[in-house]
Amino acid sequence: MAKTIEFHDEGLFHSGHAACPGCVEALAIRVIANRIGRNAVAVVPPSCSAVIVGPHPNSALDIPVYHTSLESSAASASGIRRALNASDRRDTEVIVLAGDGGTYDIGFQALSSAVERNEDILYFCFDNEGYMNTGGQKSSSTPWLAATGSTPRGKPSKKKNLVEILAAHGIPYVATATPGHLDDLGRKIDKAMTIDGMRMIIILIPCLDGWGLADDVGVTMARLAVECGIFPLYEVEQGRTYTLNRQSKTLPVGEYLKKQKRYRHLNEAQIGLIQAEVDEDWMRLLEKTGSRR
Amino acid sequence: MSVPGKTPFESPIWTTGKTDVYRTGTWRSAVPDYVNPPSPCHSACPVDGDIALWIRQAQEGDIHGAWLTLVDNNPFPAIAGRVCHHPCETACNRGGYDGAVAICALERFVGDRAIEAGWSLPAPSVERDQAIAVIGGGPSGLSAAYHLRRRGYAVTLYEAGLELGGLMRHGIPPYRLSREVLDSEIRRIIDLGIRVETGRPIRTPAELEALSGGFAAIYLAMGADAPKRLPSLDYGKPWVMEGAEYLVRANRNDPPPLGRRIVVIGGGSAAMDVARSARRFGREVIILSLEPEALLPCQREELIEAREEGIALHTGSMLQDVREKCDGVSLHCVRVDFQPGVRRGEFKINPIPDSGFTIEADAIVTAIGQDPARDLLEELLDRDGAFIRIDNRMRTSRNGVFAGGDLASMDRFVTHAIGMGKRAAAEIHAFLHPDAATEDRKRVNRYRSVPRTPDTRDLRTDVSLNAINLYYHDPATRTPQTETTPENRLGNFNETRATFTFGQAGAEAARCFSCGSCIFCDNCFNYCPDMAILKLEQGYAVKPDYCKGCGLCVRECPTGAIAMFEDRQ
Repeated sequence: MAKTIEFHDEGLFHSGHAACPGCVEALAIRVIANRIGRNAVAVVPPSCSAVIVGPHPNSALDIPVYHTSLESSAASASGIRRALNASDRRDTEVIVLAGDGGTYDIGFQALSSAVERNEDILYFCFDNEGYMNTGGQKSSSTPWLAATGSTPRGKPSKKKNLVEILAAHGIPYVATATPGHLDDLGRKIDKAMTIDGMRMIIILIPCLDGWGLADDVGVTMARLAVECGIFPLYEVEQGRTYTLNRQSKTLPVGEYLKKQKRYRHLNEAQIGLIQAEVDEDWMRLLEKTGSRR
Repeated sequence: MSVPGKTPFESPIWTTGKTDVYRTGTWRSAVPDYVNPPSPCHSACPVDGDIALWIRQAQEGDIHGAWLTLVDNNPFPAIAGRVCHHPCETACNRGGYDGAVAICALERFVGDRAIEAGWSLPAPSVERDQAIAVIGGGPSGLSAAYHLRRRGYAVTLYEAGLELGGLMRHGIPPYRLSREVLDSEIRRIIDLGIRVETGRPIRTPAELEALSGGFAAIYLAMGADAPKRLPSLDYGKPWVMEGAEYLVRANRNDPPPLGRRIVVIGGGSAAMDVARSARRFGREVIILSLEPEALLPCQREELIEAREEGIALHTGSMLQDVREKCDGVSLHCVRVDFQPGVRRGEFKINPIPDSGFTIEADAIVTAIGQDPARDLLEELLDRDGAFIRIDNRMRTSRNGVFAGGDLASMDRFVTHAIGMGKRAAAEIHAFLHPDAATEDRKRVNRYRSVPRTPDTRDLRTDVSLNAINLYYHDPATRTPQTETTPENRLGNFNETRATFTFGQAGAEAARCFSCGSCIFCDNCFNYCPDMAILKLEQGYAVKPDYCKGCGLCVRECPTGAIAMFEDRQ
């Protein structure tokens, strides 16, 4: 029973928000809000997060929220950061709560240049692998062969590896996390808050509606993604030091894919191809962490 | 990160309200409830033992608390932990994962710890004037006497023999149940203040009538001590013996001189006990049973250990006739097709043609079951075949006279008898105090937020493995009990299995899923995306204004204590 979590809810995230029933992005925001505390400002581009944290005139968060445009989260956060610095509020954390569309695609330019300038921002990307808030179109984060509204027969190209892209920028801290491993997520937030400069935590959010899942399996699915190695939990510091948080993958990818409607069209051969790709990526990751002998 | 000279952080002036004003609970069509459904082990337990609770207490290191929970239902945890046929383990959800929890061995550990520490049973909280007679000092009678005494009655226990224990003493050999353990657990019950009259058989209506005058109620639990006989055997021959008689003498360390080669007929625990006792006296033993191996009524462990000890088995076989020879007897047997009947003890057999075989032996011991003695109280009470007829409240045809155990039931297990004694005590209490009967309803479990009574909502279906979130339970293999090697078992009657050490008991207790019992892990509270779970001093509650009915709390419950229900709000 060691896997139950210790979590103190400070009440900084409020009930009555508009997330779908069972949405684990809301769960992740709950943990983030309570870990970050009151001394913070959130920047939110159009996304599920924008819907969840608040339709005006009410907010689900107990910190100021700046709703910005889809392409400019990192730029807006940079501006707020500098304004806070100028008014001697360096200890106020600027966080971004963005989706994968606003991070991998539309907000990518602003993100890349903010990382390049090493702005002191803690950026959370809720990666539900598509534009799930607008009916489920594909994004550059959508995995190979996953069906979306705009790729009904499965996406023909691979998921963009944002961790590697950011590592190539030499970002001080980038990590992956899930709402199925809340203790791990909490630890990464705490760690990120001790680091100066640009920090990014990519949180896999199994989208109940977009992926075709039952209301109660978001947490389960996030754990399966980690256990089958399709979404490894790891951290990269200064673009060089890799730490793998879950050392082994214990399930075949089929255990994860077959439970999702977006992969329902796959045949066994395609699942085999995905498995081969996951195995290859896993070996490459092990090489980077130095665990491969 | 603090900056010298900087102004302390202040809350901003809010121009917006909070989303709490939106009652998102109106979205839902289903709602979770902390139902704490029964665990399968609890439902299977013949004494209705609260297994998930006492194992949880053992997990926390509260062995005394675990023992008190055990003795609430069964005054014999050390005995049951040795000889129970453990239907709890068959029902255990962990069996579908990585092996059932060794509940019996854990119970034995707790029971032995109590004997070692000299713990006393809880004294009656009230004293009542009414006197009750319990007839028969076996497991059922002792159990009834115990539960009646705990309710404050003045109990007198009549035993025909000179020692208490009944079948536990003269039927179960010491290598399965040490006499020290048996004596300790019986003495503890008597020490509660039960009057015992040994050497006092109650065999005739006149004797029962005489008792009726002085007692408010009578519980009959004389057991079944008339062995069934094989019609084809002449029990007058020196080479034929009944298993019960063999065991009585073997357990007195006075083995009957039956010769070197012994054939035991029967497939139940009694047959195994005869065979394994004879083996310990150096005999060559063959077991002959009608049932094929998969249907043998004995416990699996007994079968395995019997084989290890060098006992040969001819299962699915029937004795046809016996011929005396100058050096023993020849048993002519045939293999049979065995079809079990609907009710326990019923069966059909068809001999398989041309499958005859012969066994050479010196003696035959039959252990094929026992009936209640026919002479008992024949004219006074209605019968149901070989048994005294009882209704579902354990009443006989005579007012104030109750019966149970082997006298009234075909369930031939020690713990069934103990369970019937417990039920009889509750029924006698309800008979004498019809208004006070509610106190016998299931106790409030301190791990449950709501007492589980027939009046509160209750899921009658047991927790299934599907309701257990296995993510929270790492695979862990069942802890085996240390066993004496077969060579070291023969030639003595020492117990063949050792009690768990503290370390073993801790490891095994930790494997329990606690099916259906809230363990206050806070998962439901922590995993709710809508902050719709409220922590209470003793448990949790759902906030109806905000619960969207997603069921994540149910899914993330490690013990299956929560369930979803349709919400007709």
